[in-house]
Amino acid sequence: MITKGDKILIVSILLAALLIFTGFQVYGFADGKTYVLIEADGRIYQKVSLGEDGPNLKLTVPTAHGENIVEINGNKVRMLYADCPDEDCVRQGFISRSGQMIVCLPNRIVIKIESDKSAKDDVDAVSF
Amino acid sequence: MQKHRKMIFLSLLVAFGIGLHIIENMIPIPFPVPGAKLGLANIISLLAVVIYGLKEGLIVSILRCIIGALLAGSFSSLLYSLSGAILSTLIMAFAYSYFKNIFSLAGISILGGVTHNFTQVTVASLTLSTFGLYIYLPFLMVIGLFTGLFTGLVANFVNQNLSTTLIKIGFLGEEKINHETKLS
Repeated sequence: MITKGDKILIVSILLAALLIFTGFQVYGFADGKTYVLIEADGRIYQKVSLGEDGPNLKLTVPTAHGENIVEINGNKVRMLYADCPDEDCVRQGFISRSGQMIVCLPNRIVIKIESDKSAKDDVDAVSF
Repeated sequence: MQKHRKMIFLSLLVAFGIGLHIIENMIPIPFPVPGAKLGLANIISLLAVVIYGLKEGLIVSILRCIIGALLAGSFSSLLYSLSGAILSTLIMAFAYSYFKNIFSLAGISILGGVTHNFTQVTVASLTLSTFGLYIYLPFLMVIGLFTGLFTGLVANFVNQNLSTTLIKIGFLGEEKINHETKLS
């Protein structure tokens, strides 16, 4: 009942979906202006706009649990230093795309990149 | 007489489509992807295309969308379902008339399902003016693949029995005996 053409079609659609998915993962979206949001202990600590001609600075984020240094370089952000033992966040390196985030669990710091369009992107199932 | 029989059969198809549309709305979808659905009403569009042709398929799917949205849905859902249904019916009719030796009804239905989801994402991106929605496309393509496979198999079983019955009771002429019944 399922012909050879069907099988070829199924495989090619799966491949196309995989290709589009990896394409989005690699290139991502460049929509709107992005900004970085640093949250410490669940509260917003700092919000910095990003861009090609963006700021180049190192921010020290003190919390009750430890101290981290966040480096903002143009449109990229990374955790430069963390005094926690595992330093997973430091090893994650730079992030630059909207939606990416770095989390430092021991010191309870979250660095998120968001764009001013990302509020619109969150389409709920009802309005869709 | 044949004309009236055809009209009655098409309106029956529309009624079945609306029923499936409403039942489908009650079934929860286990995927957190907006726009994912079973597409049961696609069975009806496919049957109309197979039994009568492109024009009748379009009539059935357009009527089904409009009345279905009036009964269970909103204006925005009408926009998505109508655009998706029209385009997927066009694609299915095209595939059925030119590639029916290559694809079975399951393959044609898969084409229709994937087209439906692609159109929905495009229309949603245009109305919400964010192309970020295309990130859902790969997931919707895979979901459309499996729901299309399912609806295609259902349509195949229905079609096998329906065509012979329709010819027996005189709703269809002998020349409409379809290749699926001969194949299986």
